[in-house]
Parts: sequence; C-alpha cells; structure tokens
Amino acid sequence: MNSLRRSFGPILSLVIVVLVGVWVIGMIVGPQLIMVEQSLWNKEIGGDAAMNSTRIDRLYNEVDTLGFDISDAEALAESPKRTEKIATITAEIDAKKSTIKELEAVEIKPEKIYSFKNYTLMGASHFFIFVKTIGAAVAVTIIAFIVCYPIAFTVAKVATPGKAALIMLFLIIPYSINELLRVFAWLMILDNNGVANLLLGFMGFDPISFLGSGAGVFIAMIYAYILFMVFPIYNTVETLDSSQIEAARDMGAPTWQIHRKIVIPHAKPGIAVGCIMTFMLSAGSFAVPNIMTRGIAEPWFTQLIYNKFFESSNWNVGSAYAFTLVIACIVFIFMMMRFFGVGIKDIAK
Amino acid sequence: MSHVSSSAFGRSSQIILNVYLVIFFAYMFLPLILMVVAGFNDFDTPSVTTWKGFTWKWFGVLAQDTRMWTGLINSIMIAVGVILVSMPLGLAGAFMITRFQSRFNGLLYGVMVSPLLTPGIILGISTLIFWREGGVSGGLFTAAVAQATYISSYTMLMFMARLKRQDVTLEEAALDLGASHTQVFRRITMPFLKPTILTASVIAFLQSFENYNTTIFSIGGSHTLVTEIGSRMRFGLTPAVNVIGIIFVVLTVTFATIYVIFREREKKRAAAVAG
Repeated sequence: MNSLRRSFGPILSLVIVVLVGVWVIGMIVGPQLIMVEQSLWNKEIGGDAAMNSTRIDRLYNEVDTLGFDISDAEALAESPKRTEKIATITAEIDAKKSTIKELEAVEIKPEKIYSFKNYTLMGASHFFIFVKTIGAAVAVTIIAFIVCYPIAFTVAKVATPGKAALIMLFLIIPYSINELLRVFAWLMILDNNGVANLLLGFMGFDPISFLGSGAGVFIAMIYAYILFMVFPIYNTVETLDSSQIEAARDMGAPTWQIHRKIVIPHAKPGIAVGCIMTFMLSAGSFAVPNIMTRGIAEPWFTQLIYNKFFESSNWNVGSAYAFTLVIACIVFIFMMMRFFGVGIKDIAK
Repeated sequence: MSHVSSSAFGRSSQIILNVYLVIFFAYMFLPLILMVVAGFNDFDTPSVTTWKGFTWKWFGVLAQDTRMWTGLINSIMIAVGVILVSMPLGLAGAFMITRFQSRFNGLLYGVMVSPLLTPGIILGISTLIFWREGGVSGGLFTAAVAQATYISSYTMLMFMARLKRQDVTLEEAALDLGASHTQVFRRITMPFLKPTILTASVIAFLQSFENYNTTIFSIGGSHTLVTEIGSRMRFGLTPAVNVIGIIFVVLTVTFATIYVIFREREKKRAAAVAG
C-alpha cells in the first residue's frame, strides 16, 4: 500500500483501491459467486405443498379430537390420575400445534434447499448437446490453427513490409466486421435457396439442407472465429529473430524442422492464447447457433442456457448450465497452459 | 528487416504460399461481397441467386425503420456509459498493478483479466442475476455494466502498456520540488496518459457497439442496434439487414485502411529513429 501512497497520496490511493474493489468484487467475483449460489438451490413447493396441506388439515382434526378428550377428562372426579391425563393431552395438543406452525411456515414460504440437483437434472439429450458443443469448439480451434499458422508466419516473417501491410489490412477488415453480419453472409450461402445449393445444382447434386442438419452452425463458426487465431500467433512469431531461421536453413534444416524446432516453440504463448480465444468464443457463442439453426436444427448448449433463463424462467437450472460451460472453459484453459507450458502471465499479455 | 530474405525460400514454396493466400482471402471476402450485392437486389428476401434488378430502395426502407433507430440510440447510450465506467476502472487497475508491489499482485491481475477469457454470455447472465438480487431488472443499465466488466480489462491492458514506458522519476522530482499529489496527477500523469485515454475510448466504444453475446443476455426487454439485427436475422429477414451490412462494411474498410496506414507510418518513424 505504501508504494501506491507514495505515488498518489492518500486520497487518490483510496480512490484507486475503491475503484479496483468495485470492479473486482462488484462486477467480476460477486456476480460469478451469486450465479454459482443460484445454481446450488431450488425452491421446493411443487408436490410437497399438496402433501403438507393435507397433513395440516389432519393435524387440526386431531387437535379438535384431543380438545374433546380434555373435556371428557375434566368431567372426571378430582384425582392425581385426572391431572396427569389432562397434562399429557395438553402436551400432545401443544406438540401438534407447533408442528402445524412449522408446516404452515413452509407452506407460505417455500424453502430454499441446497443441493447439486440442478446439475444432475441435465438429461442424456442435453448432455449430448453439451458434448457436441464442446466437440465442435475443439474442432473449430484445431482447424483455425492449421489454417491460420501459415498466414501468421507469412505476415510476420516471409512477406516484404509492403505486402505484409496489405495482408494485415485484408485480415483486419473481415476481423472487424460485426460477428452477426459475418454469420449472416453464410446464412445466405447455406440457405436452401442459397449459393451453395445453386452450385450443387449446377454440378448435378441434390440440394442439401445445411441449416437443418446443424452443419451450417459449424461452417459459420469456423468463419466467424478463425481470425482470432491469427493475431496472437502473429504477435509472437514477429518477435522471433529471423537470423535463427536463416541459420537453421543454412545448416540444411528442412522447412518442417524449422517450424517444429524453432518457430512453434517460440510462438507457444501466442498459440495458447489463440486456441483459448477461439475455443472460448466458439463454445460460448450464442450468435452463430441462434442465427444458423433458425429453429429447425437441434439447439446448441448456449441456446439451452438462453431458454432456461428467458423461456422456461428456471434461473436455477440455467445457472447450473451456465456454470457447467464456465467449468469447461476453465478446464480448457488449464489444459492449454499445461500443453504449451505457459503461465497465466504469458497468456494475458 | 524483420522478414526472412526471400532467397531462403524456394520459388515453388513461394508460389504455393501465394496460392494459399489467394484462396484464404477469397474465403474471407466472397461471403461479404455476396452480402453487399444482395443489398442492392430488388427482391424481398436477401438473395443473390434470384436477381430482380438493381435498386437503392432498401436504404429507404432501413431509414424508416424506427426500431433500428431506437436501437442505434440505445447502442450509443450504452457505449457512452461503458466508456465512463471502463476508463476509471481500467486506469485504477493499471495503477494498482504497475505501482502497487504486493504478493497478491499476480492473483489480482489474473482476476482482472479473467473477463477476457470468460464467454460473453456468462458475463451477461451473472450480471443479470447479481443485479436482480438488488432489485434491478435487465435493461440498458445492466447491459452497460456487463459489457464494462470485460471492456475494463481491455482498457487496463492498454493503460498498463503505456504506464510501462513512463519515466516515474519525473513524478518523483515534481513531488520533491513540493508539488502536491493531485497536482502531479493532473499535470504529469494524466497528460502522459491522454493519447491512450483517447484510443482506449475508441476501442471501448467499438467493443460495446458491436457486442451481441453479452448484451442479449443482460438487456432484458430493451434492444440495441446489434441485438435488433440479430432478431431480424431470425425472424422477418429483409434486405434492409444487408444495407446495414453495407454500411458496416464501408465504415470498417475505411477505418481499417486508415489504421493500417497510420501503423505503417509509426513503424517507419520508429525504424528511422532506431536506425
């Protein structure tokens, strides 16, 4: 704290600490914790409520009968046995009344019950969709790496400065065009009356329902997120000293060896970032499946989350689904960090 | 020179690489060109396969679309809100990390960049749930807060990059000469950060304006331009959507070209200074 105070004085330091606190606690950690908490409970009203009210009715009847028993007992002659009997009946009545109170409290205010039920509720079909979504995201990531690595290497190391600038411009334009519009362009291509089916028709094939089969989502996803792989790889390859490549070549190393032994090891942090970004964007994309399934193909996991929140209004299960997605992303990030041997500091550059 | 001399690569691999680049950029640009062309087609659904003649009429249709206009206004309001939130937060985060030496620094840094590694829909959902607990339901406010959560991480990284190049001795000298902390902050630190504040504001505005995934989950019953485009793509598709595409493409090409020219000039200047 002293280092901060020395630079900014007490007042500004306090402002800085408060702002960071608001951001970290109020916007990042707090909302995540509330979401996880929400995923861990349920309000139990449904079936139990009906059972509760019959139990309450029965208890009221029993209390009434006991009331008669008391007046019967009071009619008896004074004796220790009578006093004892009245005392036991009164105690029984009190016990029943307190049970009634408890049950009524539950009936009015449904109880929050903490459990992992929301997570286990996911049936086989939803779990399959989860696996499909994650699998597709992994596939998009792998394809993006294979396609983008040569491009990034070319811009960083092969092209002349003028050509590199031009390629950079051609990369930045599609990269900056809104995600929805990029997806929309593919909607027009893959639609039943779209360009792809027109071309297939010319070649004498039957039209394919790209959108109905869910293939459209995958194709558009590759297009939408592929460029997120280029820039991180480019940034790291650019820092590699070109003389290393030339030295290896002079000593007769074949091209694939140069990449395997020199360029890729150097570019590891960039590749890790590119993979994490591409995976995270694909797995968490709502835009692409929402537009490309058009309600005819099977939904994707993000659409299931959306439906839980905004169609069936079950925020508890929705939160559980959302947190499941978060866990998948965290697992992927750690796998990438291990695989490429990089730390969190290298990633968040 | 950063590039490897071309003699190091055989002619055949050069040709293969060039062919590859051409195919790649055809893949990148042809869909966008189709989208632009369909915006000029005099046909009720966006299409290039059924050509009914050239028209400007979809521009007129778009101009009269009131939901799009309110969406645009909402987008701008959210984006301005995001700038107002993410500038101070990003700046405070950057100061904290660069000037505050502590063993919690690594953890704090990890938490502050984590929104960049979190799917956008999660940021939207968690913000929505969090504010509902406080009685605030989804709307423009929650959308702006949800976006600012991760856009602040961007601005923080930009401020950190700038602060790393700062000469701290200047501040220390001013303090030694009797300037107050507020004076130093206003006269030395802020002027040094001014260019970054400008570029970070532009980035924050664009990030907010373009956002779909976070916004759709946190905006409740309201809409922005982009969420409205999203719902049009699902229901009631007209070439007016393509016209928006045309406008976006023209703006993007213009700004990207300016950016690259600017970047090249900076690079040359840096090279001239160094060499």
